[in-house]
Amino acid sequence: MGLNWNAAIESIPVLNRAALLTLELTAGAVAIGVVIGLIMALGRLSKITILRGAAITYIDFFRGTPLLVQIFLVYFLIPKLLHWQELPDNYQYIAGIVAMGLNSGAYIAEIFRAGIQSIDRGQTEAARSLGMTHSQAMRHVILPQAFKRVIPPLGNEFIALLKDSSLLSIIAIEELFYSSKIIAGRTFQPIPMYIAAALYYLVMTQLISRWVAYMERRLGKNDIR
Amino acid sequence: MIYVKNLHKSYGKLEVLKGIDCHIREKEVVVVIGPSGSGKSTFLRCLNKLEEPTKGEIIIDGIPLNSEVNVNAIRREVGMVFQRFNLFPHMTAIQNITLAPVIVRNMNKAEAEKVAMELLAKVGLSDKAHEYPDHLSGGQQQRVAIARALAMKPKVMLFDETTSALDPEMVGEVLAVMKDLAREGMTMVAVTHEMGFAREVGDRVIFMDEGIIMEEGEPNEVFSNPKNARTQAFLSKIL
Repeated sequence: MGLNWNAAIESIPVLNRAALLTLELTAGAVAIGVVIGLIMALGRLSKITILRGAAITYIDFFRGTPLLVQIFLVYFLIPKLLHWQELPDNYQYIAGIVAMGLNSGAYIAEIFRAGIQSIDRGQTEAARSLGMTHSQAMRHVILPQAFKRVIPPLGNEFIALLKDSSLLSIIAIEELFYSSKIIAGRTFQPIPMYIAAALYYLVMTQLISRWVAYMERRLGKNDIR
Repeated sequence: MIYVKNLHKSYGKLEVLKGIDCHIREKEVVVVIGPSGSGKSTFLRCLNKLEEPTKGEIIIDGIPLNSEVNVNAIRREVGMVFQRFNLFPHMTAIQNITLAPVIVRNMNKAEAEKVAMELLAKVGLSDKAHEYPDHLSGGQQQRVAIARALAMKPKVMLFDETTSALDPEMVGEVLAVMKDLAREGMTMVAVTHEMGFAREVGDRVIFMDEGIIMEEGEPNEVFSNPKNARTQAFLSKIL
């Protein structure tokens, strides 16, 4: 097949930087996603119809439309909503992180909801029987247990998000996939470049899943089960 | 202390409680017995509104159990111990006990811990204060659960089949704690299958079947000379 690996090897410093950017974008999106996810999960479980309806609508929209479409939508919508005459420098990063954060918020909401609902009813009953209000029971009894249980699915979401961040290449963010594509085009060596990109993604997803497994063990140390 | 008037509870078409009237006096120990499905646990759970009554009135310590405000006020005064312990698994024994006094009663932490240690000593578990529930036996967990309820200094304690989920050799240690409480003058309502306990510390036995109180009276009277045919049939099966 006669592959020339020189281009890939020479571009290692560029790919390192691009991989770091990919991680940063993902981490930013996860941070936004966890906050939105918690709010939406609590809304989804609320007795108040309007809150529940709003949360369901949000989750349905972001899970039911392609991330690619959401990225474009957010990219063009933010300046419109904020009445920006011109785009600030590096605007694409803000748009990218916000779009991915909004999207992952919907998935994380469902993860949190399942986690909260998986906690035995007896826990709520015990908390309420001690005179705790609904929110005290949630905060001190239910959520700490739910958080521990959602670490594995949250890890999966983190990994999915890291891979999906390659879609941000579409708004010219020079993350890992974008950089590989540019170099592949310039050097006419697409196969080595995309193999290199795949390896970078693989290493990063492996690192995340190891880290998640470690957190799971550490937080589960009080359980015999 | 507790007045119950014409209490009804239905789940859809299924009527579980069909009109319960009773009055529980201060320092009285009332034991509720009856076959499974007779509504005795539902009755108990209505007393601190873990179940919403369909109809009827409950007044505890002069406070009617109707609005959400009253519910939390009442729950502070009414301790409950569950069949399946329901300890908080992410907290140590002492954390389980101090949580509610600190966040509900605004007790300071040091004071709450002092109270918790006294209660743990009372239930014989001083050495287990910093153990997590998963490292305790069923009997020990249930004793911690009793201490947790007592930490709120309740005026009434409700016991919902507190020994039914325990291995036989652990039933005694939990009953011993309940007997101590009864002797100290705690007002108690206990749903139980432990007839020995009912006989020894009960001031009154209530026999429930099909959602109503079929018979009630002093334990010796009810056990040795039951008047209702249902009570007779039930007791002949278990005694």
